[in-house]
Amino acid sequence: MCRNHLNPIHCIIPPYMLTRLMESGNKKIADLAINSNFRSFRFRNDRIFFQQSSLHEKTILGLISKDTGKDIMHMEVYDCRQKTDFINVTLLWDTKTNQKLTSVAGKNVIKGGKASWDFYWQLFGRNSIDNKGLLIKQYVHFDKGMDNAYWDGRRMVYGDGDGTVFTSFTSDIDVIGHELTHGVTENEANLDYENQAGALNESFSDIFGIMIKQRFNNQDVKKSNWLIGEKVMIGPKYALRSLKAPGTAYINHPELGSDPQPATMDKYQNQPDTESGDFGGVHINSGIPNFAFYVTAFNMGGYAWEKAGRIWYAVLTDASLAQDAKFIDVKNLTIVHAEKTYGINSLEVKAVKQGWSEAKV
Amino acid sequence: MKIKLIRTGGFIPITKEAEADVNLSDKQVKQLLEIIQPDRIASPIKDGHYYLLDIGTKSTLVDLEKVPDEYKSIFNKLKSDLKFIK
Repeated sequence: MCRNHLNPIHCIIPPYMLTRLMESGNKKIADLAINSNFRSFRFRNDRIFFQQSSLHEKTILGLISKDTGKDIMHMEVYDCRQKTDFINVTLLWDTKTNQKLTSVAGKNVIKGGKASWDFYWQLFGRNSIDNKGLLIKQYVHFDKGMDNAYWDGRRMVYGDGDGTVFTSFTSDIDVIGHELTHGVTENEANLDYENQAGALNESFSDIFGIMIKQRFNNQDVKKSNWLIGEKVMIGPKYALRSLKAPGTAYINHPELGSDPQPATMDKYQNQPDTESGDFGGVHINSGIPNFAFYVTAFNMGGYAWEKAGRIWYAVLTDASLAQDAKFIDVKNLTIVHAEKTYGINSLEVKAVKQGWSEAKV
Repeated sequence: MKIKLIRTGGFIPITKEAEADVNLSDKQVKQLLEIIQPDRIASPIKDGHYYLLDIGTKSTLVDLEKVPDEYKSIFNKLKSDLKFIK
C-alpha cells in the first residue's frame, strides 16, 4: 500500500485481491489494478535504490534535508480540550518557546517524545520519525474519557482514559514510544496493517516502545518486567501487554476478561480482516514476534537495545522487508542481520534462532 | 426501533457496546447511514477505534464526526453508555 494519493485501489486492496482485479473482465477495474501494481513495483524499487545509494548520491538527488546530522528535535504539544477535532486546539508547548506548563498529560508526552527521539537519534542516528527531522505533533485530552492512544499518519493522539479501567494514555513512556514507532514503520517498511504484516507492525511498535522505556529507566533485560502500559491500566495486577509472557498482561479482569495474546505460532488466531476482527488480529498475534524478541534479548543479556534492538532496527529499515511480510520473513531477516553483524557462528545468531524457535515460528 | 453502537479496535482489541430505542423511519435511517458513511482512507489508523451501527440484522461502519445535529444527542448518549464486552 502507498500513501498520499487519491486512488483508493492503490491503498486499501491487499495483493491477492489486486491480482484478481488485474484479471477482471471490467477494463476500467483491470486498468486501475495494473496501474496500481506498477506503482507499487516502482515504489518498492525506488525504496531499494534509495536505501543502497551513497550519501553523495542522496545529496545530488536532494534527499538529504538541511537538518540531517544535527541534534535537533522539533515537537509541538496540543490540548484538544476533550473535543474530537484538531482545529479548535490549544498549543500547550513547543520546542521553540519551551513554555512552562502545568498539564500532567502535556508533561508526560514531552518526556515520552524526547525519550523516543533520543532513542532513535543516539542509538541509530535517526533524525525523528521520517529521518529528516519531522516535527513531532502530539495531541492530549482528545475526546471525553477516550481509553486509547493512536497514530493517524500525521500525529500522535492520546485520551484521558475512562478513570475506571484506564487512566491517561500518556502515563507510560512505552505507549508514547509505541505510537511514535508506528510513524517510523510507516516511513520504512510501511507494513500493511492486516494479518501477519499488521501483527509485525504492532510488534515493532511494542518492541521499540518497551526498549525506549527500558533505556529511559536504565533497565537491563533482567531488571525490566517487559510490561507495556502498566500505569495506563488501573490496578497493580494489570498492564496492556506483556512481551515476556504474552497472554498474561491481565487475567480475569472484571471488565475485560483475560489478555488474548498468544506467545507461540501454534496458537495463532485467524481473525477476520475487518475492523471488528482487528484486521486479522494485529493486536493479538503480535504476541508471537514480541515473544521471539523477548527470548532473543534475554538470552543475549545486558541492555535490549545494544544487540537485539540493533538487529530488529536493521530489519525494520531493510529495503527488502516487504509490506506484506510474514513472521517467517522477519525471522529470516533477523538471522541475516545477526550473522552480518556478529558472525555466522556467534552466540548472538544462536540467540536469535532460539528466540524464534521458542515462539514456534 | 433498537439501534446498537459498537466500538472496536484500539491499543488493545476490546469491544464496547450500547443500545438505544429510537423513533426513526426507514427513510430516515437510510439517509442517516448515507451521511455518516466513513471516507475511504489510505490505510487503517494505527491503534484507531472504529464504530459500527447495528440496525436490525445490518451492521454498518460509521463516522461519528459526521452525525447531523438533530441526531447528536442520540449518539452522544450511546457513546457515553458504551460498556465493555468480554
